[in-house]
Amino acid sequence: MTGLLRGLRRALDFLYFGAGVLAAFCLIAILLLIVAQMVARWTGEIFPGAANYAGYAMAAASFFAFANALNRGAHIRVSLLLNAVPSRFRRFMEIWCFAIAAGVMWYFTYYAYWFAYWSWKFNEVSQAQDATPMWIPQSVMVIGGGILALALTDHLIHVLVRGDHRIKRDLVDQSFAE
Amino acid sequence: MEEVYAITLFLFVLFLLLGTGVWVGLALMGVAWVGMELFTSRPVGDTMITTIWATSSSWTLTALPLFIWMGEILFRTRLSEDMFRGLSPWLARLPGGLVHTNIVGCTVFAAVSGSSAATLTTVGKMSIPELRARDYPERIVIGTLAGAATLGLMIPPSLALIVYGVTVNESITQLFFAGVFPGLCLALMFMGYVAAYSYLSGNWNPRRETGMSFAEKLRNSRFLIPVLCLIFVVIGSMYAGYATATEAAAIGVIGALILAASQRSLNWNTFTESLMGATRTSAMIALILAGAAFLKLAMGFTGLPRALADGIATMELSRFELLMILMVFYIVLGMFLDGISSVVLTMAVVEPMVREAGIDLIWFGIFVVVVVEMAQITPPIGFNLFVLQGMTEHEMGYITRAAFPMFMIMVLMCFVLIWFPEIAMWLPDTMRQAP
Repeated sequence: MTGLLRGLRRALDFLYFGAGVLAAFCLIAILLLIVAQMVARWTGEIFPGAANYAGYAMAAASFFAFANALNRGAHIRVSLLLNAVPSRFRRFMEIWCFAIAAGVMWYFTYYAYWFAYWSWKFNEVSQAQDATPMWIPQSVMVIGGGILALALTDHLIHVLVRGDHRIKRDLVDQSFAE
Repeated sequence: MEEVYAITLFLFVLFLLLGTGVWVGLALMGVAWVGMELFTSRPVGDTMITTIWATSSSWTLTALPLFIWMGEILFRTRLSEDMFRGLSPWLARLPGGLVHTNIVGCTVFAAVSGSSAATLTTVGKMSIPELRARDYPERIVIGTLAGAATLGLMIPPSLALIVYGVTVNESITQLFFAGVFPGLCLALMFMGYVAAYSYLSGNWNPRRETGMSFAEKLRNSRFLIPVLCLIFVVIGSMYAGYATATEAAAIGVIGALILAASQRSLNWNTFTESLMGATRTSAMIALILAGAAFLKLAMGFTGLPRALADGIATMELSRFELLMILMVFYIVLGMFLDGISSVVLTMAVVEPMVREAGIDLIWFGIFVVVVVEMAQITPPIGFNLFVLQGMTEHEMGYITRAAFPMFMIMVLMCFVLIWFPEIAMWLPDTMRQAP
């Protein structure tokens, strides 16, 4: 049983990290697309749809990195009250937060799935020059949203069973929002 | 009457979710869902996905991760050591002496990074021990550092301005240029304060610097010059109209990579760390933006923004009175919420109000950014205060008091912006638009 759990733990952590690495590749893709577009313009060529591809890569970079950002404590929250209450009460507040957040994300993932599904069913194609079938970029919302929902549920169970979560606050990451 | 109950419930849920510590982006999505269920009969889930997809896959937003990445790369170079050594020979003769390295250093780093904590650590790591060793008053060293590190929000590339531009649909390049002079003006005001303090204070007797020849000064700052060139290229390419904000960001990333490689501080470790760090930060902001886009839609259905804008219009407030109310509002909000969250959270309501009053949205962006900057050095959750506490091991109260004069200077800056709006508007009005 413990072996199974440990395996599950390792698989999940690998999933969150792997998605984060995938997001990093999407960020590099954004850079390359924009450089290609610039070079094309300077040499008098046109790179049709580059802006749209960069937009899809942006969505992918965000959604794939959500879970990794959560685990590394990059997501912003108002921690004033959380830090002020005694630790026993704090645990209940954490359960409340993770439950709400997981609920929101599962709801999101469910509708994102149907959104991408109908795009695929009706062969919806981008209106811009790139003419990409829309279900391909849209499915990053399903996958990324699903992984974040899974991570939040994972933390929720951890708080319920062990009493703490495994998120450490990262000051440098969060300070970008200031 | 039912309307009033519904709106009260809606606002209650908003404060409940944010206050109990639900992650800001997800809390906004939850609140927006409640609002949609209360005020419309539309299919909520589908509307949510369409809105969030449009926001998350927008081309304008791609400037965000690239500028973050550029800052992350330079944060991991030896810029920290070079900054103090390169700046100090030039600033030693000014009244106020080497304290100015804090302010100028923060201004320079603000032009490559959008993070105030990164700015604080990069500049403070060297300047705090060096200034202490030269017997500068501790209080002014800490205070100027806390104040000047907030400049990162205003001097381009500014993440807060990108987020503001995306939220209210204004040109990011124009916002960037509107921020240049107010940022420099604020830096000069900080420096003026330091100079005045050095004359008026009784306990100002730091160790004198030995003079250096021009060639020596130049040799000391030789590592700083490439960084200044990079800033010049990134900002210049936007100003001359050769590149959009996103393209300038891409140039910045490549320049930063070349710079780091030529200093031999680029290896596999620093590369992946900077890349993963940038991905996480941009995901964090993207989640807030996704939630805020959905909330903006829901807010529209509640009728709250319209009602408030009309209410303000019937009160016949002058422009100045409206701005004063908003300033106090944002200072209070900033005590509990970070800068980007408070901008995106309130824009749905504030934007119609400001447009109604005939205030230019570009100018207002700069105004809002100065105000949310203040929040970083006010307790209880001033971000720069936390970082400085970790770096200096002073208690919170001491750092807050040290930073208070800087807070007052920022308040003054708000009035300067109101009285002389040209400071912000001159540059964007004269620049050429990018293709």
